[in-house]
Amino acid sequence: MDMNEIKEIFFQECEEQLAELESGLLKLNDGDRDPETVNAVFRAVHSIKGGAGAFGLEELVAFAHVFETTLDCVRSNKLEPNQDVLKVMLKSADVLADLVTCSRDGGSVEESRTRGLVKELEALANGEAPPAAEAPKAAKPAAAAPVAKPTDDSGFQPIPFTFDGFGEEEDVIEQFTYEVTFKPTRELYSKGNEAALLLRDLSRLGEMSIACDIDQLPALESIDPEASYFGWKISITTPKSEDEVRAVFEFAEWDCELEVKPSEASADEELPMIPVPFDLSSLDDEPVETVQPQAETAAKASVPEATSSVAKAVNAAVEKKESAAAAAAAAAAQNNPAAAASSAGQTIRVDLDRVDRLINLVGELVINQAMLSQSVVENDTNGTSAVNMGLEELQQLTREIQDSVMAIRAQPVKPVFQRMSRIVREVADMVGKQIRLVTEGENTEVDKTVIDKIAEPLTHMIRNAVDHGIESPEKREAAGKDPEGTIKLSAKHRSGRILIELIDDGGGINRERVKQKAIDNDLISPDANLSDEEIDNLIFAPGFSTADKISDISGRGVGMDVVKRSIQALGGRISISSRPGLGSTFTMSLPLTLAVLDGMVVTVAGQTLVVPLTAIVETLQPEASAIHSFGSNQRLISIRNSFCPLVDVGRILNFRANQANPVDGVALLVESEGGGQRALMVDAIQGQRQVVIKSLEANYTHVPGIAAATILGDGRVALILDVDAVVGASRGQSLKPEMSLAAAG
Amino acid sequence: MAARKAASGKLALSPILDLNEASALHGKLMSMRGKDIVIDASAVERVGVQCVQVLVAGAAAWQADKKSFLVEKASDAFEKTIALIGISETQLIAKEI
Repeated sequence: MDMNEIKEIFFQECEEQLAELESGLLKLNDGDRDPETVNAVFRAVHSIKGGAGAFGLEELVAFAHVFETTLDCVRSNKLEPNQDVLKVMLKSADVLADLVTCSRDGGSVEESRTRGLVKELEALANGEAPPAAEAPKAAKPAAAAPVAKPTDDSGFQPIPFTFDGFGEEEDVIEQFTYEVTFKPTRELYSKGNEAALLLRDLSRLGEMSIACDIDQLPALESIDPEASYFGWKISITTPKSEDEVRAVFEFAEWDCELEVKPSEASADEELPMIPVPFDLSSLDDEPVETVQPQAETAAKASVPEATSSVAKAVNAAVEKKESAAAAAAAAAAQNNPAAAASSAGQTIRVDLDRVDRLINLVGELVINQAMLSQSVVENDTNGTSAVNMGLEELQQLTREIQDSVMAIRAQPVKPVFQRMSRIVREVADMVGKQIRLVTEGENTEVDKTVIDKIAEPLTHMIRNAVDHGIESPEKREAAGKDPEGTIKLSAKHRSGRILIELIDDGGGINRERVKQKAIDNDLISPDANLSDEEIDNLIFAPGFSTADKISDISGRGVGMDVVKRSIQALGGRISISSRPGLGSTFTMSLPLTLAVLDGMVVTVAGQTLVVPLTAIVETLQPEASAIHSFGSNQRLISIRNSFCPLVDVGRILNFRANQANPVDGVALLVESEGGGQRALMVDAIQGQRQVVIKSLEANYTHVPGIAAATILGDGRVALILDVDAVVGASRGQSLKPEMSLAAAG
Repeated sequence: MAARKAASGKLALSPILDLNEASALHGKLMSMRGKDIVIDASAVERVGVQCVQVLVAGAAAWQADKKSFLVEKASDAFEKTIALIGISETQLIAKEI
């Protein structure tokens, strides 16, 4: 593993830590005062700082350090995390995230931003109330100033032991003795830390004696070479403070048991301490080229001496070990380090490419299995042969494999939602509005590919909601509302799709203005008679922007049409409903996965089509008496005493010139996202099958009314019907809605 | 005991005894069980605790087998690290008894 890979892992971990940090801060913001929440927040910043230090990302370390110091004040109850404090912290979290991004992708964060926040953080840590009044500029030269260089404290600490006997006390430095108990966990090593280096750094603080506790060490045959068994008791005499001693273990603090306490003179010594008197400079990270002759001779001399003194000592050591062995065996069984490790590290990081390859392969497996089934069915008419039975099992297995593989890629939408809270904060700050983002259902899981792709449209919609949706505090107060606006972002599963709703309690869509704007932009003709819903949907028209002035936030010409297009490209739909004065609701419905689909295979005018099963409510064979015609060529079907428009799929898709006779075909009752049911007429149903979705856009080009394509068991390509587009078309809209708007203008 | 004397082995330690080396070292030791062993630590430049754990467990195992386990030419870095982490050389040596 080279340095870049390790660094990449660090950045991945940073992202997790940043998410942790933000969710913790938001929890605190909501009044959570659980010390564990504060700890989690502190830990997140601390870990980022630690890793950044290892990679020499000084800017990041500097900022994280100041941030951490302030968080420590919260942790130790010196600072009450009230709204004002948390506002600064949330901003700091944003800057920290930016610093991480810059460290990874290059670029830099505006220095003024960092410096301003550093001042605010320092003011908080010093017990000054926010917002920090203009801090005296000369007081602190640079943000990096208070940062201690944690790891590379090279060189020796001068040890003041030469003055004994002489009465000159002016320079006598007070010495303290601490007892340090240090027991690393397996993670300490697996994260690239090394206990020996920590001990080396510790030994540099002063005079140190050490005892290694090897009682946990199992027999050679049962040892796990990568586990941690040794623990240490250390006695160190140093002029440093307890905190400075602790600081040695700063980056390993979460991966070890550590106790540092001032020594009590009568410390009971269970283990004989070995003084560490050596010049340890040769153990520095950089190899020292000059070999010290004394050290070498000492080494040579020590060998025979050691071997001669071995026999007795080894007996003692081993006997001691053996006597403890029986007791230790029982304890080890319960205290099995491997078991402990497995409960801690239950996740692994896998390259997304590998998962994608697996998913593709499983897709091929599904197709292949379908082909195999088909040829068996063709050759085995009674369907009871052993092969047939075996195939059914195979089908079930394939299905399970596929579900499990898809579950690997399923992720909660939480990270995306969290990013949105930052956007709300920033944009609200910029436009001077007070807005609160409430999220719901953030643990709803959806395929990673979908998650990656919804972030952008969602960001745009959130910006829009903040900029245009929510009114200014004054306007809100005038309208008798809470000056603080609320945006609610929710996610839930509904009938095999994920539904994301963005609800604001703003002014709602100003239909008059939208209509006027559409007329001005030649999107509709001035005499067009549009329903409220149609006017609302005008905001999705290309090139539509209602902002009076082009702001920095939204209204850059790429508007909601881009949002709509990217949602559609995902196989999703977006709709809006708005109530004047009360707010707007955007509803997005997205597929849970972009890889497979349960579909009903049907025949229409000699073509094979797949209708997504999630859309179908029921299928029925129409009777002549149930069909009612009206108008030029509109038809209704009566189903259990209610009427439902009948749509000939073959006609809508231009597969045939004339409408087919409904009695000869089958009607699929479908429910569309826009609400309402339609009966889709097809010629025949072939069966129900799971199909692997292949993008038409990527391999061919977009076809109106068709969502994607798939490969059937016999190797033929079948088109997957876009039910909503077909239903929309049946309402009189053309299959290219954006074209129809342009044509109207 | 001629048979016993014949069965002795030498194990030269790698220069870098880090986390990655611990499993390899463990494997080498396991394959050399049952015979006297002389460990050559002259080339060692860096020692991690996990390799020391394996070595100490090795010395104990050899002791239990009543075979000799001897660290021969320890490099400066090896000796200092061993002392630093509080392992006495006796814990790294088993003697044929």
